[in-house]
Amino acid sequence: MNQTPILHVEGINKRFGAVQALKDVDLSLQSSEIHGLLGGNGAGKTTLMNVVYGLYKPDSGQIFLRGRPVTINSPRDAIAHGIGMVHQHFLQINTYTVTENIVLGTPIPHRPTMDLTQARDKIRALSDRFGLEIDPEAHIEDLPMGARQRVEILKALYRGVDILILDEPTTNLTPQEVDSLFESLKLMVAEGMSVVFITHKLREVMSVCDTISVLREGRRLLTAPRSELSEEEIVRTMVGSEEALEDSMLFSEQRRDEEAGIVREEIVLDVSDMRIADENGVLVDDLSLSVRAGEILGIAGVAGNGQQELAEGILGIRPLSRGRVRIGDRDVTGLGTRQILHLGVAYVPEDRLQDGFLPTASVAQNLILGAQRRTPYSSARGVLNRRAITETAVALIQRFHIRTQGPEDMAATLSGGNIQRMMLARAFAHPVRLLILHNPTSGLDIPSVEFVYDLLLSHKREGTATLLISDDLDELMLLSDRIATLYRGRIVGVLERSAFDKYTIGRMMSGVEAHD
Amino acid sequence: MTTSSFIDFAALVMLAVVPYILASQGTMLAGRTGLFIVSQEGIMLVGASVGFLGAYLFDSLLVGVLLAMLVGGLMGLVLAYFTTTLKLDQFVVGLAVFFLGLGLSSLLFKVVIGVTLQPPIVPTLDAIPIPLLSRIPVLGPILFRQNILVYLSVLLSVALYLLLYKTGMGLALRSVGENPKAADSLGINVTRNRYVTAVIAGMLMALAGAYLPMVYTGTYTEGIVRGRGWLSIALTFFGGWTPHLILLGSFFFAGVEVLALRVQVTSIGIPHQFLRMLPYLATILVMIFAFRGVRPPAFLGQNYDRESRTSS
Repeated sequence: MNQTPILHVEGINKRFGAVQALKDVDLSLQSSEIHGLLGGNGAGKTTLMNVVYGLYKPDSGQIFLRGRPVTINSPRDAIAHGIGMVHQHFLQINTYTVTENIVLGTPIPHRPTMDLTQARDKIRALSDRFGLEIDPEAHIEDLPMGARQRVEILKALYRGVDILILDEPTTNLTPQEVDSLFESLKLMVAEGMSVVFITHKLREVMSVCDTISVLREGRRLLTAPRSELSEEEIVRTMVGSEEALEDSMLFSEQRRDEEAGIVREEIVLDVSDMRIADENGVLVDDLSLSVRAGEILGIAGVAGNGQQELAEGILGIRPLSRGRVRIGDRDVTGLGTRQILHLGVAYVPEDRLQDGFLPTASVAQNLILGAQRRTPYSSARGVLNRRAITETAVALIQRFHIRTQGPEDMAATLSGGNIQRMMLARAFAHPVRLLILHNPTSGLDIPSVEFVYDLLLSHKREGTATLLISDDLDELMLLSDRIATLYRGRIVGVLERSAFDKYTIGRMMSGVEAHD
Repeated sequence: MTTSSFIDFAALVMLAVVPYILASQGTMLAGRTGLFIVSQEGIMLVGASVGFLGAYLFDSLLVGVLLAMLVGGLMGLVLAYFTTTLKLDQFVVGLAVFFLGLGLSSLLFKVVIGVTLQPPIVPTLDAIPIPLLSRIPVLGPILFRQNILVYLSVLLSVALYLLLYKTGMGLALRSVGENPKAADSLGINVTRNRYVTAVIAGMLMALAGAYLPMVYTGTYTEGIVRGRGWLSIALTFFGGWTPHLILLGSFFFAGVEVLALRVQVTSIGIPHQFLRMLPYLATILVMIFAFRGVRPPAFLGQNYDRESRTSS
């Protein structure tokens, strides 16, 4: 490989305030390769590519395209140089058709007919060539996530790019959609395009990339052809610690099974015939499930298929239009959220920044939130007992390894992983019979993920019932005893652990019922 | 109803429809870039006041109209600056501009004219019969024997429809009100689109106000707009934020207005205060049903901050 790389960056530095997001990064992308950019949250993968795409201006460093130095000041420049980027959050106009979204911002003849036939033909041709199946006439809002992503890719291809950057492209896709995305990428590379694939998922990188680079804390630590790398070597570079990774649950399902304990007879949560509707329509319908003590029930599904509503329905945050919820032997339908939480229920919501914590309150205050009216935190008259709060907080900070200056620190100063530890500490500060978690590990680094899994399993052994809602299928399959798959607010099917299969669940995620 | 009284009625509706069309199309256009204007009543009052004064002092309706639109455009510019550049809450800024207009309109009139027993008068707009078409029985006198602004406001609606739905410029403009971040990422200038539509909206609203003294009374009186500005907000929703349905809805609103006036004149024993309430009552009733299924621009009422992209 001594040909000139199609894209080469050299000595890139980028600082955001006090954080050095990129430190002297070099990276070369060869033509006709899929280059995996791997790293945990905050490793600098997306920042580096945003520099290449003209969204961020680097503090220093140089970008070379086909051996020639270039300056890229905006996404427009990047596209003009043949670089396209598909962001993790799609930038699309929901009410427009696929064609309209793709041509938006390109010169369209201002004739009163706005004739898009030519554009449509070009889109169809691209779609056929790369296996990116799409109906150009469909409206974006009617499309599933996989198709919406194909629109983003087509948007870049339509503008004639030959370098395509994909930022975490497999989030929210079913396994089938992931496979077909990979097929398309291979076709593009076969035609001479180059692809940068940003991800934190090791297995994806191993299955599709030709070359792999690992970033950690703003530095590029490793670049090598896939064939020369082992999974373990990559993870060790990503994590950077000397911890014994052989023990990691991420690599050993055996360990999960050893530590999982048994599922008991006692039913802790019983939901029957739940229906939730609001002005936007029916969000959850005809839904029944039960979770036993010591059981982890996984809820799979593409994001936005009723997961959050289900959790909020159980907790009394959303009123039910029909159905009942029982916790233990008590019917809690219609009870207030506070009463339900007092029954020994803990909830860690998905959007922890929005729903989960008070950014401007102290860490200590956040840790006792929800229990603030109970003794010993409050006196009988309702005055907060500062000392008791601080004592509890100090204990929890230690037990959950929350990295903070101290209990009086403002919660917003914590990093994402530490906020999640804080939320879990709060959830587990009191005896928990029922635990409801929604995407508990999204955005966490590997040691934190490991920590969450350990915590879940140790409580499972002690008899806690867990409802684990997650977009990460690997996580669900690793931890759950059973997995129920949600599609448009209904349960399509429930699988026992012995019958777990990625593709079966993937089919259910797109609404196809299991045949067995 | 006899044919001739129907023609009278319909012709009056055609006359009354203009301010509704102009103000609502302005509201719609700015809303399509995400700017939700609530200052219609204030801008229309200023338009009425300035339009009248211009016409009176320079002895020309055209000068009055142009001056009104100039001031209206400036008010639109103020709205755009405070919401788009300074990123202040659109509703609060909108109400402030409404109150500004409310005070400014009376103040201007009092400073220039003073308090008089005999209000100064300008001539009203002439009807311009369209050759041949105006001779069609029934339809001719209703549709084709109207003043210039009646024709123009209908043409404006058609033009806006074509612009928004049949040109690339319209596609880009609407995208700003739906998802400015997406539009920005594709090189569409969000700020410029908002400023341009805000200024045009202000001009249309002021024109709507200037129309009133030039057609009905020949003079400016306090409160001459009589809530038409507020109604045009409801009308914009009623029309689903689309030019063609707003045009249709304007006829409905104008129809109710004329009807209430008519019943008032014939005096059938119902207190006239009650009848004057009718347009608003009808609005509420219609809204209850029409609001369902209406889909305003997704980003309506929000301000776009490009910097926030870095947080995701």
